[in-house]
Amino acid sequence: MSNSVETQQQSSKFAEWIKRPYLRHVLLIWIGLTILLEFFGPVQARLMGAPASESMKAIEDTMTLFTYAAAPVAALVIAVVLYSIVGWRQPKGAGPSDESPAIRTNGPVTTVWVIVSSLLCVFLLIWGLGEMNSLAPKATSAKPLVIDVIGNQWAWNFKYPDNGNIESNQLVMPVDQPVIFHVSSVDVVHSFWLVQLGVKVDANPFRVTLAHVTPTTLGRFDVRCAELCGLYHAHMQTDALVLSPSDFNQWIANGGHA
Amino acid sequence: MSTSTRGPIPNGGGLMRRLNLGTAIAGGMILGFIGWYVSGKVFGFGDGPDNAWGRDRVWIITMTLWAIGFMAGIGAFVGPIRWVMGKDQKFEDQMYLAGKNQGISRYFKFTTDHKVVGIQYLIVTMLLFFVGGILAMLIRTDLISKNTEIFGPQTYNAVVGLHGIVMIVATIIMVTGPFGNFVVPIMIGARDMAFPRLNALSFWLIASLVPILLSAVFLGGIPTGWSAYEPLGSQAPPGMDSYLMTIIIFAISSGVAGANIVTTVLKMRARGMTWNRTPIFVYGVVASVGLAIPAFPTFMASQVISGVDRTTGTVFYDTAAGGNDWLYTNLFWLMGHPEVYVILIPALAAMMEYLPVFVRKPLFNFNAAVIGIAGIVGLSVMVWAHHMYTTGWAPNLNAPFMLTTELISVPTGMLFLVFVGTLWRGKVWARLPMLAVYAMLWNFIIGGITGIYLSDVPVDVAFHGSMYVTAHFHYTLMGAGLVGAMGAVMYWFPKVTGRMFDEKIGGWGFWISQIGFNVTFMGMFAVGLAGQPRRVGSYSALFANGNLVSTLGAYTIFLGMLIFLAAIIHSWTAGEIAPSNPWGAKTLEWQVPTPVPLENFEVLPVITSDPYGYGVPEKTHEPQLESVHAGDH
Amino acid sequence: MKRTFTALVTVLLGATVVFGVASFLHVSNQQNPPVMATVNGTAQTSQGLLPHAFISLSTYPDSLAGEHGPSGGVHPDWVSYGPSTAISLPAHALVTMTITQYDSGEVLNNPYFARVWGTVATPGDGTTDGQMLLDGKPVSQVDPNHIGHTFTMHEITSPGQDSLFVSVPLPAVPEEEVPDSGYSKTPHVITFSFITGGAGKYVWNCEYPCGDGTYRKFGDAMAARSFMSGTVTVA
Repeated sequence: MSNSVETQQQSSKFAEWIKRPYLRHVLLIWIGLTILLEFFGPVQARLMGAPASESMKAIEDTMTLFTYAAAPVAALVIAVVLYSIVGWRQPKGAGPSDESPAIRTNGPVTTVWVIVSSLLCVFLLIWGLGEMNSLAPKATSAKPLVIDVIGNQWAWNFKYPDNGNIESNQLVMPVDQPVIFHVSSVDVVHSFWLVQLGVKVDANPFRVTLAHVTPTTLGRFDVRCAELCGLYHAHMQTDALVLSPSDFNQWIANGGHA
Repeated sequence: MSTSTRGPIPNGGGLMRRLNLGTAIAGGMILGFIGWYVSGKVFGFGDGPDNAWGRDRVWIITMTLWAIGFMAGIGAFVGPIRWVMGKDQKFEDQMYLAGKNQGISRYFKFTTDHKVVGIQYLIVTMLLFFVGGILAMLIRTDLISKNTEIFGPQTYNAVVGLHGIVMIVATIIMVTGPFGNFVVPIMIGARDMAFPRLNALSFWLIASLVPILLSAVFLGGIPTGWSAYEPLGSQAPPGMDSYLMTIIIFAISSGVAGANIVTTVLKMRARGMTWNRTPIFVYGVVASVGLAIPAFPTFMASQVISGVDRTTGTVFYDTAAGGNDWLYTNLFWLMGHPEVYVILIPALAAMMEYLPVFVRKPLFNFNAAVIGIAGIVGLSVMVWAHHMYTTGWAPNLNAPFMLTTELISVPTGMLFLVFVGTLWRGKVWARLPMLAVYAMLWNFIIGGITGIYLSDVPVDVAFHGSMYVTAHFHYTLMGAGLVGAMGAVMYWFPKVTGRMFDEKIGGWGFWISQIGFNVTFMGMFAVGLAGQPRRVGSYSALFANGNLVSTLGAYTIFLGMLIFLAAIIHSWTAGEIAPSNPWGAKTLEWQVPTPVPLENFEVLPVITSDPYGYGVPEKTHEPQLESVHAGDH
Repeated sequence: MKRTFTALVTVLLGATVVFGVASFLHVSNQQNPPVMATVNGTAQTSQGLLPHAFISLSTYPDSLAGEHGPSGGVHPDWVSYGPSTAISLPAHALVTMTITQYDSGEVLNNPYFARVWGTVATPGDGTTDGQMLLDGKPVSQVDPNHIGHTFTMHEITSPGQDSLFVSVPLPAVPEEEVPDSGYSKTPHVITFSFITGGAGKYVWNCEYPCGDGTYRKFGDAMAARSFMSGTVTVA
């Protein structure tokens, strides 16, 4: 048989395949659902609120991107489920069918499925690694502001070792300046969560863990404890204030008061 | 389930004839009381500086002696002691222990018949879910508005911790306990498990730990969350002793059960049942218990160490004194991650087993199902520190763990392929177990995708310790796991109980609970995104609407589940009598009569094909089956 | 019909069990009636003329004088605050709190709490913002090695609820002066003031670890309401 006849057979096989009504219906539902779910893409980021740092922005962007990527996958599963319910259902009251095709497997479908899912996995990985790399602290000319974060049952307090060891129960930072947190606990494990700035690291007893961020927005944000630490874990919260550099210096000059 | 004609109860059994749940409770209480009294005199009960370990020593000794007394009272030691004395079991002893002709009373004894053990597991599992469900309602009620305090934060934390551990124990056993025991031996063509007495032992160990677990209620609760992180755990009241004893006994039970199931499936499949002809449910159960065998011992070790810290002043987990709380965290999650697959895989495998029956076509790509399960099992032991991205333990390991975690999406995707492929072009017999598959797929796709978000290290920085995580794991463990278990209950109901499950009332219950479930946990995703931490009894006004929605959804789940429970009770006691194979299924358990005879098979079967030979070959579009020959145009 | 009945009964039974357990827990966890601040006149503050409220508490080395009654309840030997750990304060007021401290003590877990935070001057007693009056003398911090208790208030950050963070250290009565029964004749008396914002719910707890025998001594009484922790309602 010549090549042209083979290709003709292959393309006629594909043409036959695509002509099957159920396939076209499922494809249509799939495309429709994908479009619908893509609209859902930015919703989660919006519920997370306006990002107040580069880290938080990267997190929100990743959520949106991953949702865009996941939409066709979810849509495919749901499309088949929907068509199964409406298009392939036995009439009511009829028993089990004796007409289902005895499909044991399908090589091409399995291959495509595994390859696509592996590619998606590789994509997730590369994106994640790239993200982690871009969020890692860079050596900049500006020395980061060091803030000691001490968690104890059930309050946070903050110390500014490079600014005269000022202590405060509120976290105060200047905008657009890199900050590095030295986080520790004096008793159990807490978790220092600077919500809108996308910072979280555990406060471990008698150990220092590090986190860093550069606030990009002025305003009042939340510090919450994210690791159950006893009776008032829910109340282990305080304000984080991001001030203009001059206001921050004023705060320091006042010994940590307004 | 007619009991009109029963033969005589066999002779034999000796001391076992007199032992039952009553003697077990008596034994446990007597020995437990002795332990409590004597250790109380020796160590003192007080708290305070002079007696830091006294009360923990008292409670741990009491609980240990309760367990030993209980197991002695049910007759667990009779077999080994007789063996030491040179008196092996005779045939009539084995028949007695198997519960032959003993009616209802055999469910309250150390009965070795795997079918009895399966039903015992089913009842205890339902009891645990009931308790866990009540606790969930208490939690959600306390969260209905930002300042509601039905009870204060210390009780709230204790309720949360108890809810978690009760549900974890229940979900681990919910499919392998009842159906791994009842169904698998019949399904592989065996008369019972490889080690029938170990089977009874594994169940009665669970029975002995339920009072220990519930004793936490009176000992200050488990206010640390079910994960009981150190050093918070060492600060917590003696409810933690209940917790660690529960886990130690549970690990022994699951180890025993695992060895039994694996040996049974490896060595006792009927002639002709090659691995290619072994039903996928069997693979799922073996994978689950096989995974539990390496995983649960680390949990047990973590709790033994906690126990030693609490009672003897060692400082394994005390960083300031030279120990390391991260030791606990690692040991815990080395178990904790495989454990979720121990929960999930049998539930999915049960659905993969019965889906072909209702669409009347073969399981799509059986090999992919096996490889998918194997891939998940293999990878699941390499991902544990994704629970520790934000601990600061080993930031350099975050990337490798992100890699292994994201890789799990590939074998998981293969399982989705099997489900989707089996549904494809299958004419659906829309019975309730079938419909449950749709619910599971919806829930599992949401649970799976949200897991992918969490696997990304920077995203996890935002979500760890927030309600987003809580919503994710409820979607997977409850939305996929529990729904799979409910499907298994409905599917095997006719074989286990001899009656048909009422799909009308059961259907109402099932769908009400599913609607409630999605409302509850979607609300929880929303508040997690907005920044609500987990395990909190009060919260910022920002989260008020989401919590109200979740609470109302939770009440709906409770309503639905109670209706489902009513359907189970009503069907079991007064349902329509079931034929031996109402579904027309091909697996071996449906080829034996209902009620299943004591030794399952008159004659052990010989297997000549796999159990998925449904459907019409001519309709497959396979080229070789269409009449295309060279020369045709 | 019969199965609908079974369903109804099951639902009702389930709901009753939940309601029963919740009610039982609610009743057994009831907070004692709060100690209320009494308003007496007005005071000039940095925020203008505000009502001036007064409230008194004490800290005891056992539970025989607080809200657990003379028998001391389940844990008579646990230290406690009295007369109640539930506190009620008026909104937008200057609150002057006096605490009589009868207990001994040692070193804090976190020396941060040896300082006075969040207070304002109490009119007429010589204190300035950030100070408290200790046995008649204005101070802004005390020796972190001899603390009996602290009074530390904090909150959930929530829109619509004003921040309120106040913490004062309550120095220890020397060990020799604490009798075996009864209370010291020479307790420390600490007075401090702060300004409340709008209505809100807050909590307070002691930050001096006295849960001997527990990790970092923060278990037992420290981790239980009605002993070393409680609530503050501003209304």
